[in-house]
Amino acid sequence: MSKQVKMGMLGLALVIPSFLVLFVIVVIPIVISLLESFKDKNGRYSFVNYEHLFTDKLMRSNIIFTLEVTIVSVVLVLIISYALAVYMRFNNGVAVRWIRRTYMIPIFIPSVIATYGLIQLLGNHGWLARILLQAFSVESMPRIIFDKKGIIIAQLWFNIPFTTMLLGSALSAVPNSVIESAKDVGAGFLRIFFKLILPLTFKTLLVAVTFVFMGVIGSFTAPFLIGPNAPQMLGVSMEQVFGVFQDKQMAAAIAFFTFLLCSFMGYFYIQNMIKEERSRSA
Amino acid sequence: MDIQLSIQRLTKRYKTGEGVSDISLDVRKGELVTLLGPSGCGKTTVLRSIGGFLEPDSGDILIEGKSVLKLPPEKRPTSMVFQSYNLWPHMTVFENLAFGLKIRKTPKAEMRQAIEEALQLVRLPGAEKKYPSELSGGQQQRVAVARSLLLKPAVLLLDEPFSALDAKLRHEMREELREIQANTGLTMVFVTHDQEEALSISDRIVVMNQGRMEQIASPQHIYDEPNTLFVAQFIGKMNFLKGVVDAGQVRLDDMLLPNPKGLAGNVSLAVRPEDVMLHEAEGQGLAGTIKQVMILGHYAEVSVDLQGRETIRAFRPRDQVKHLHPGQEVKVTFGKSIAYPEQ
Repeated sequence: MSKQVKMGMLGLALVIPSFLVLFVIVVIPIVISLLESFKDKNGRYSFVNYEHLFTDKLMRSNIIFTLEVTIVSVVLVLIISYALAVYMRFNNGVAVRWIRRTYMIPIFIPSVIATYGLIQLLGNHGWLARILLQAFSVESMPRIIFDKKGIIIAQLWFNIPFTTMLLGSALSAVPNSVIESAKDVGAGFLRIFFKLILPLTFKTLLVAVTFVFMGVIGSFTAPFLIGPNAPQMLGVSMEQVFGVFQDKQMAAAIAFFTFLLCSFMGYFYIQNMIKEERSRSA
Repeated sequence: MDIQLSIQRLTKRYKTGEGVSDISLDVRKGELVTLLGPSGCGKTTVLRSIGGFLEPDSGDILIEGKSVLKLPPEKRPTSMVFQSYNLWPHMTVFENLAFGLKIRKTPKAEMRQAIEEALQLVRLPGAEKKYPSELSGGQQQRVAVARSLLLKPAVLLLDEPFSALDAKLRHEMREELREIQANTGLTMVFVTHDQEEALSISDRIVVMNQGRMEQIASPQHIYDEPNTLFVAQFIGKMNFLKGVVDAGQVRLDDMLLPNPKGLAGNVSLAVRPEDVMLHEAEGQGLAGTIKQVMILGHYAEVSVDLQGRETIRAFRPRDQVKHLHPGQEVKVTFGKSIAYPEQ
């Protein structure tokens, strides 16, 4: 056996364990649910589930609702996190110290408890409503809990800390000297931001988009506890179809569709990574 | 002579107590002045104050007669070459060079022309399309120099630009910088902790220590007549011997030396190794024993243990040390020496 073949075999042997784990816990379930999703009630293969998914009024509104919540959440999380991270990177002082100390707290609070807290705070006759009534005589508040707004607020709570941390580390990897040299040649703040800081942290921004997108689209706890009854987010809908309607095949179709949405995001992410690699090594 | 840059009584103290005090310096148009000193002496503080990256506590900085103290870095007519090349990694060399010109709204054709010329000047023609990561350290620093040159700054600031390069490249870059300076007539302020670098490229050197200026003079002058003991220690190689002033003359054992500064009491006598002469054991001078003879190319370093004193080093031409060997008794005299009050 030549040395090359031996090394090749060693490489394969090193890859096989992780591949097997991936195969058993990711690939097989996906294939099974894909097959399942193509079965009708009598176990025959057909497109009936997907037909239902895309033609049923309620299901369609669920999909649109999920995408709406996801996109709005992603945009808001990124804007707030990036602003926080930039603020912490380029400022010093009491405010920065306090943000630094507190912004991670949500990570340490279990999601069920945080959601319950949000209900207490924002619900009908919750603290906020009471405070507004007492202090400003505001009598009516828009519905937040059991509404899209509630889910989005919860998503902000869950996603901002980690995203801020991610972007913060990317920003601290941009050396001061890079910014100083830009100032030195005469660039103002906006130009430095759009020409240097943003491009130099763009890759991490993309990672953050992917993380938040996947996290929100597949979220369950918050939408289940504070989402409206209809339309629902896909995770909640899936649970209902599976648990209440006992329609395993339909649930599999929803699951597979959610997976497709995520893999579209993943494809976009990988494409960008490859493009970046190429431009660097070209 | 036109004064291009004038620093007047500049003071900047950090919370830690470090910083600079009372720095005044005039730099003429087309001059290359080096700020030299050990790390923490405040040389970079002065440079960054000129560039606008630090706000001085007091004092003024004038460029071409106008105070720039109130201007932010992007508005100052200065340009800085940083220690860590500082090219923008996501832009090609062309984009790096064009960045500042675009801000100045230079027409496209003119910009292309200027960039081509600048790359020619730093001997990197045709590197426009490359990314900084594809260039070596020396090439990156040349691009950084080109980037600064393109902006035609009133004063070019260089913050230890070559310290990250290897020795050979550093030598080449010094020569190139000197050439660029001759070609462009730019006024430059150069910061370094490397005294050899300072001696080789400067028109004038400012030696700094603990936030103060010790001496401003030409390399020649600073080497021959260091003002203070610190400068004597910092610039070039130097032997120090303990002496005492006796009847208006500096006395080392039974050797008498002039005392032009009129010092009194104990003194430190500084002697350059090339001013140390070695004689036969019978002659005049301090008695000593040769410890070691090292051939260092065109000259040799001879270390001599003086009896009851320090070990001193002498640089002699190679052919003069052929008959010397370790353990040999010699007498030592000094061609030139400078006395300083003992610290």
